Amino acid sequence: MTRDLALLLPEIAVLLTAVAALCAEMLRRSRIALTLAIAGLLVATGLSMPLVGMDTTVFGGSFRIDALSVWAKLILLPATVLSLLLARDDVRGTAREGTVYSLLCLATVGALVLAGAGDAMFLVLGTLLTGLATFALVAYPGTNPATEAAMKFFVFASVTTAVMIFGLTYWFGAAGSTLLTDMADVDAIPMAAVVGLVAVVVGLGYKASLVPFHFWTPDAYEGGPLSIAAYLSVVPKVGALFALAQVVRGLPVDSGWPAVIAGLAVLTMSYGYLAALVQDNVIRLLAYSSIAQSGYFLLGIVAVGSSRLALPSIILFAAAYTAMNLGAFAVAATTGRVLDAFRGLGRTRPLTGIAMVVFLLSLVGIPPLAGFVGKFLLFAAAIDARFTWLAVVAIANSVLSLAVYLRIVVPMYRPAEVSVAAPSAWPGVVALTAFAATLTIGLAAQFLLAGPMALAP
Amino acid sequence: MPMLPLVTITLFLPLAGAVLILAMPRPTARRMHGIGIATAALTLAGAVAMWVRGVSDAGFAQLEELEWIPVIGAAYRVGVDGISLPLVLLSAVLFLLAFIFTSSLRERPRSYVVLALLLETAAIGTFTALDAILFYVFFEVSLVSMYFMIAGWGHEDRQGAALMFFLYTLLGSLPLLLAILGLYLGSPEPSFDMRAWIADPPLDGAAAMWALVAMLITFAVKIPAVPLHTWLPAAHVQAPTVGSVILAGIMLKFGTYGLVRFALQMTPDAFRDAGLVILALGVVSALYGAFAALAQTDLKRLVAYTSINHMGYVIVGVAVAALAVDPAVRAVALDGAVLQMVSHGLVTGALFFLVGMIQDRAHSREMGEFGGLLNTVPLLGWSFVLTAFASLGLPGLAHFPAEFQIFLATLWTVPAAAVVVLGIAVIAGTYVKAIRETFLGEARDRWQSMPDMSLREVLTAAPLLVLTVAIGVAPSWLLDIIHRTTSALALQ
Repeated sequence: MTRDLALLLPEIAVLLTAVAALCAEMLRRSRIALTLAIAGLLVATGLSMPLVGMDTTVFGGSFRIDALSVWAKLILLPATVLSLLLARDDVRGTAREGTVYSLLCLATVGALVLAGAGDAMFLVLGTLLTGLATFALVAYPGTNPATEAAMKFFVFASVTTAVMIFGLTYWFGAAGSTLLTDMADVDAIPMAAVVGLVAVVVGLGYKASLVPFHFWTPDAYEGGPLSIAAYLSVVPKVGALFALAQVVRGLPVDSGWPAVIAGLAVLTMSYGYLAALVQDNVIRLLAYSSIAQSGYFLLGIVAVGSSRLALPSIILFAAAYTAMNLGAFAVAATTGRVLDAFRGLGRTRPLTGIAMVVFLLSLVGIPPLAGFVGKFLLFAAAIDARFTWLAVVAIANSVLSLAVYLRIVVPMYRPAEVSVAAPSAWPGVVALTAFAATLTIGLAAQFLLAGPMALAP
Repeated sequence: MPMLPLVTITLFLPLAGAVLILAMPRPTARRMHGIGIATAALTLAGAVAMWVRGVSDAGFAQLEELEWIPVIGAAYRVGVDGISLPLVLLSAVLFLLAFIFTSSLRERPRSYVVLALLLETAAIGTFTALDAILFYVFFEVSLVSMYFMIAGWGHEDRQGAALMFFLYTLLGSLPLLLAILGLYLGSPEPSFDMRAWIADPPLDGAAAMWALVAMLITFAVKIPAVPLHTWLPAAHVQAPTVGSVILAGIMLKFGTYGLVRFALQMTPDAFRDAGLVILALGVVSALYGAFAALAQTDLKRLVAYTSINHMGYVIVGVAVAALAVDPAVRAVALDGAVLQMVSHGLVTGALFFLVGMIQDRAHSREMGEFGGLLNTVPLLGWSFVLTAFASLGLPGLAHFPAEFQIFLATLWTVPAAAVVVLGIAVIAGTYVKAIRETFLGEARDRWQSMPDMSLREVLTAAPLLVLTVAIGVAPSWLLDIIHRTTSALALQ
């Protein structure tokens, strides 16, 4: 018991941080709430460091301490810190500022629970925890668009989560256990296996914005505060995708699930980029781009169980994606929500311009940036798992993605018509951190790879 | 005492120069160009020192290795052989001249010099990389830098042309990534070491053929070979002069270099099986490029199409080398192909510089608008005439020894393909027409006050003309180095 709790220290620390931030908010000390939240998350990150390299489970196998869950902490906790800094700009001086910080920490706990799920119940718990916290965050401004977006998000989430819970009862009924490791036996009863898999794909697919469960994504991103969009595009998504990897790890490779995931990958990548191609609103464009990027994660998930590159590629791409996507959102936070706002950015604020170009090219997957290393390993994993055609489709989509991201880059270097307002400090710090991370992950992938790679089966 | 890591120093000197310029608080344009020229000169010194160290008879020389991502077998590995060393030297020369030529630029000089220096590192890196991931990284970085160079400093319709260039070559380079992954997963132990892939090609049968097809798509776009060439004239017409010089002089060689290094050396059996198809591709490219050049009235487009023609000869040379049974014939064909790359870099680089000089003065490149320029600007005129003669393959100038060896090997191996010689006649006609319309005849009044070459321009063009003559008259100093590698290639 003590050992189990000790291994969960980072999660417990984040939870306590959320409570502490809430207490500070009750005393109307929002600055202290922010400081507490940031400090707590950094402490939790520090507490996760010693866990690197572990591969064990706690509480009877229901929660896993493995490469996926440990690296989820190391990636998502700093990402939450950056989101907090972005949020500070959005909600400063509003009535319940501190609750935002507290809710962000709570949603992160949910994402961490998802990433380490070893039991079907944790899938439900994590989905609900992140869901409930983020509905409130999207609705926070209280404006009409925000409320509408939160409502859509809420209805969509309720239905998909209900479907997931319903389907999971089949797995439970067939296996007599909720542990994910026991799900391999369900194969004897094909009906239950299929329903259960569909349920998980629906429930986690909505959270990770996989097509066709993505409809809430652009609306929620656009309606809510920009910092919440940035957060939603990274933390809950990575948590859900890691959870999906945890689920399929227990399933036999020959039972046909890789084909289902591969199909979803093609749909998600292609639809995401095609839709992004016609957006004029940068936030919607980034929303569709984040949908498409989820599809790339699926290349690694397809290979889970059949390629030793699968888990390292997912983890590395998660780190790369977190850095570059948060960076792009941070630049958007200082610039504006429409494409026209980016006109001349590269000339009036050259450093911001360079950073944005680096983020977008990294999202395309141009070497030597972080996105390239991540995608490269994902492609290798897919080919290794005999899904060469999927890698070809992904590569074709990378070309399409270039057209998408150049829609932002090209106007940046056209002559500017209007002067841009002076950027505020925090998004600048976030962009700078993300910039450094994007370059470092690309050039020094070794240090990140040594961890997850050492654990690869 | 450990040897000085010359390759690494030469490779990263331009990058260091770029960082230096970025770190300076408020540099003047003069100082930035000065740093650019000084860095490029030091890089050239490094390349010359590499040349002095030379190559070894078997495999690669001047190897430098450093662990990078050992868990997947990627490492920083650089080195040269007789095929890459001349191209490194060519890059160093052309970049130095490009910096000299562009030293009068006052429009956002900082970004420009930094981009050009980045491009130089990318170019030298592409030729010296011996690790497939490293190669790909440099290959793509060059693409991004060139995109920004065309988009930032090009002519009227530059955005469209830059976008087309970027999309085309990115679409083209992704198949190479697939091929690299295929070679990686097929190799006995996980490694991206190109030397291992060359010594013991990891794929065979259908897998090798698919990898070859993927690589051919990539390199055919880059070379460019018909029918994947349509981006080239558009990019050249819109690119700034230096952009054109680097694009034609160096970046097209990425394609032909890759054709030899990757396609020929890593999938030799598949290449031999597909040899006749590739040969046909080369012949069609060479002839198409020649005829298309004949139809142009814009001087820059004309030079761009002659590039397609000259690169077609390189493809022919490589294909013949694959088909040849006798190692001696194979060596002759490859000698010709590699020498052709170098000659084309020098000659076409010079032609683009000279056309750029004409454009700077007249703001036009239409042949019909000129006439009698030989009287008005004799130095510029005679330089152009000499370079044009070199480009059409006149004996005694750089292209002759290269094309002669390619045609000779073709006659020995696949005599029917010698029809490609026809290209020479068409190109000769093209240049004679261009010279007559632009430089001969009645001098027009509106060009009477056109100034002749300035010192900066002479400094740019003269070294290229000297090298062109030097290779034409005595190619052995270059061929000796090339031959040491090509005569030892196993290709089994």
